[in-house]
Amino acid sequence: MARLVVMGGGVSGHTAATFAKKWLGKEHEVVVVTPNSQWNWIPSNIWVGVGQMTKEDVVFPLAPVYKKAGIDYRQAKAVSIHPEGKEGDDTPFITIEYTGQGKEGQTEEVTYDYLINATGPKLNFGATPGLGEGSNLGEHTVSVCTADHAAHANEELRKVFDKAKAGERQKILVGTGHGMCTCQGAAFEYIFNIEHEANKAGVRDNLDIKWISNESFLGDFGIGGLHMKRGGYAASSRLFAESLYSERNIPWLIGAHVSKVEAGRLEYELLDGSTGEEEFDFAMLIPPFAGVGLKAIAKDGSDMTDVLFAPNGFLKVDAKYDAGAYENWKASDWPRTYQNPTYSNIFACGIAFAPPHPISKPMSSPNGTAIFPTPPRTGMPSGIIGKAVAHSICDMIKQGPDAKLHEASMAEMGAACVASAGKGLTDGTAAALTVYPVVPDFEKYPGLGRDLDYTFGEIGLAGHWIKHILHHLFIYKAKLKPGWTLIPE
Amino acid sequence: MVQPLVIYPDERVNIACTDVRTFNETLNNVLEDMIDTMKEHNLEALSAIQIAYPYNIVVIKNGDSYDEYINPRILTSSGKFDSTETTLYYPGVEVTIPRHENIKLIYENRKGEAQHADIKDKKLSATLQRKIDYLFGGNFLDKVDKKTRDNILEALAKENPISVTMNDVCPTFSKKDYFVSFTDKLLFIMGLSLLMPLFNLSKEALANWYTYDKFAFPTIILLMIGFFFYAQYEAKKYRQCSSCQIGNNIGVIVKRVTLATLFAVGSYFILSPK
Repeated sequence: MARLVVMGGGVSGHTAATFAKKWLGKEHEVVVVTPNSQWNWIPSNIWVGVGQMTKEDVVFPLAPVYKKAGIDYRQAKAVSIHPEGKEGDDTPFITIEYTGQGKEGQTEEVTYDYLINATGPKLNFGATPGLGEGSNLGEHTVSVCTADHAAHANEELRKVFDKAKAGERQKILVGTGHGMCTCQGAAFEYIFNIEHEANKAGVRDNLDIKWISNESFLGDFGIGGLHMKRGGYAASSRLFAESLYSERNIPWLIGAHVSKVEAGRLEYELLDGSTGEEEFDFAMLIPPFAGVGLKAIAKDGSDMTDVLFAPNGFLKVDAKYDAGAYENWKASDWPRTYQNPTYSNIFACGIAFAPPHPISKPMSSPNGTAIFPTPPRTGMPSGIIGKAVAHSICDMIKQGPDAKLHEASMAEMGAACVASAGKGLTDGTAAALTVYPVVPDFEKYPGLGRDLDYTFGEIGLAGHWIKHILHHLFIYKAKLKPGWTLIPE
Repeated sequence: MVQPLVIYPDERVNIACTDVRTFNETLNNVLEDMIDTMKEHNLEALSAIQIAYPYNIVVIKNGDSYDEYINPRILTSSGKFDSTETTLYYPGVEVTIPRHENIKLIYENRKGEAQHADIKDKKLSATLQRKIDYLFGGNFLDKVDKKTRDNILEALAKENPISVTMNDVCPTFSKKDYFVSFTDKLLFIMGLSLLMPLFNLSKEALANWYTYDKFAFPTIILLMIGFFFYAQYEAKKYRQCSSCQIGNNIGVIVKRVTLATLFAVGSYFILSPK
């Protein structure tokens, strides 16, 4: 009997664990270690942030789902990985610290035969002074990264709306809180949902809404932008994004690194080295992501974190990390199997794997501040990667450690993204985009690096319906209700 | 080397340009071609796509020298003014459109070194905005209202008759529409048949209507199946055709099959002689 331990119960971890259990059956054990008691459908958090959904709509408790599936669930956070075991015992294990199930604070060693790191990111609010401390959100801004943050964001937003209703002019700032953020998409959705709600509440005229981000052009989204086929020609996502912002009267500030946040005010540096400041009454700034800070410990007790993890705290996988300058980047640098090169029984998926390099062109200001989006590894790709990793491990368990691994390279994978720009059954809007491949392959598709036959976008009410259907579909799937395996990632 | 200019109705101007990734001899050649072409035609500014190179490059004449902007991005813009502009692509067309007075720009030079510029000169700022629009697949006619745009294009078309190759564009009427139109007629009569009991008709007449429905329903289903395969065949024939997308076709089918099923059920309960 083999034991697979999955660290993390987010989109990719949950997908990996549930599929692994289904394929492995009762003969083998699957353990999920996650500090959260609830599963969160993160893409819908933006709707919680504008009061269109409640926190309860986007989360559900994990324990009953894992009990039904026969997965051993430990509500705990992983602290360290011991891939070689300890003195006198070669069995690899991880140490965990409980955060629930009545064992709060207790630590435990969990041995494994195979390990999946799907811890997701640490929300690194501490990277920008004033944005927060460590992974905790500060008092000056809000966030929509977790369901709790989003519920808090909505409370603050309502206060601003109330003031605007009373005739006070209010300034809203939405975007990224650091020069090296990813997840512009969430901020993009949030700003348009705020605008939509403000119109509905009749307070739009008293609100100044402004976008601030680290993209070098609007519509970069951390994937270097995309081109959509329209009328036979490829239109840049820049055109699409700029018209959307102009139509909704939202000015933008791009190429910006937020360097300091204070009460009602922030300072920023632009890509041209100039600095400036913005005042705000309400600001939602996405923090940069970092690894969760797992340690790796060698058999003799010495620290070997740098063997297992890249400097940013994400797990090293089968990617080419020494590709060098931007010109030399290739699609083939991206990992295919997500297996750790040192320990073949350790895999990573979702945000937890270390990407070889960004997708957008790296840029820095004349002062040396790096300002560019880091690559997204969320949503559809993370689910697909989770499933591929689970498949590989099941084959290794059943056929032996030399089984052929399943591949899911982001350079050969398309992604669909539905970005909400306002919720409503009849007046909702969303932009539906598909991009193939996620990581541009300039060798296979010279020029733009993407296959234009599979890269397109539309905006409208139907997009909103799709986003709404996906919300219910994916929560249904995550709850492992009948037929869940048929729903794609 | 002087290169031929891309001039209306040459549609290559709409091609979205790509960032320059490698700063090598090829780039130098493109830049030299651009400058040669500018000298030849005495041009003030040129985007690479205007001589059919799909790269994000703009060259602007500055006195006797030429400023090269590679991978330019506008970071901030402020102030608005009405700029009266002409462009090479639409010869003889002059439009007045709003542009930003000041822009902050980042770009690279031919060595790939990051540069930035804070442009306060209205004219230069407008020129750069116009040229950068080209890089993203747009031009100044995208910024005027639809009527002005149509008038200009119409005037241009008179001077320059455009020939459109029909085999690559989506026809306004395709043969698959015959399937739909016939189905719609059958459906209309099926719908009508449900109203017949209101007219106090004889039992026999009602039975005839029911017979019609009995034949119409399977015919509609067969027609829709035929439509699906014919539409798929047509979609392959025409490359650019939004009405040929499978989603649209399925929508057409689902709508009609649902309606036909409803009518058939209705007919069974209302008209069926029992």
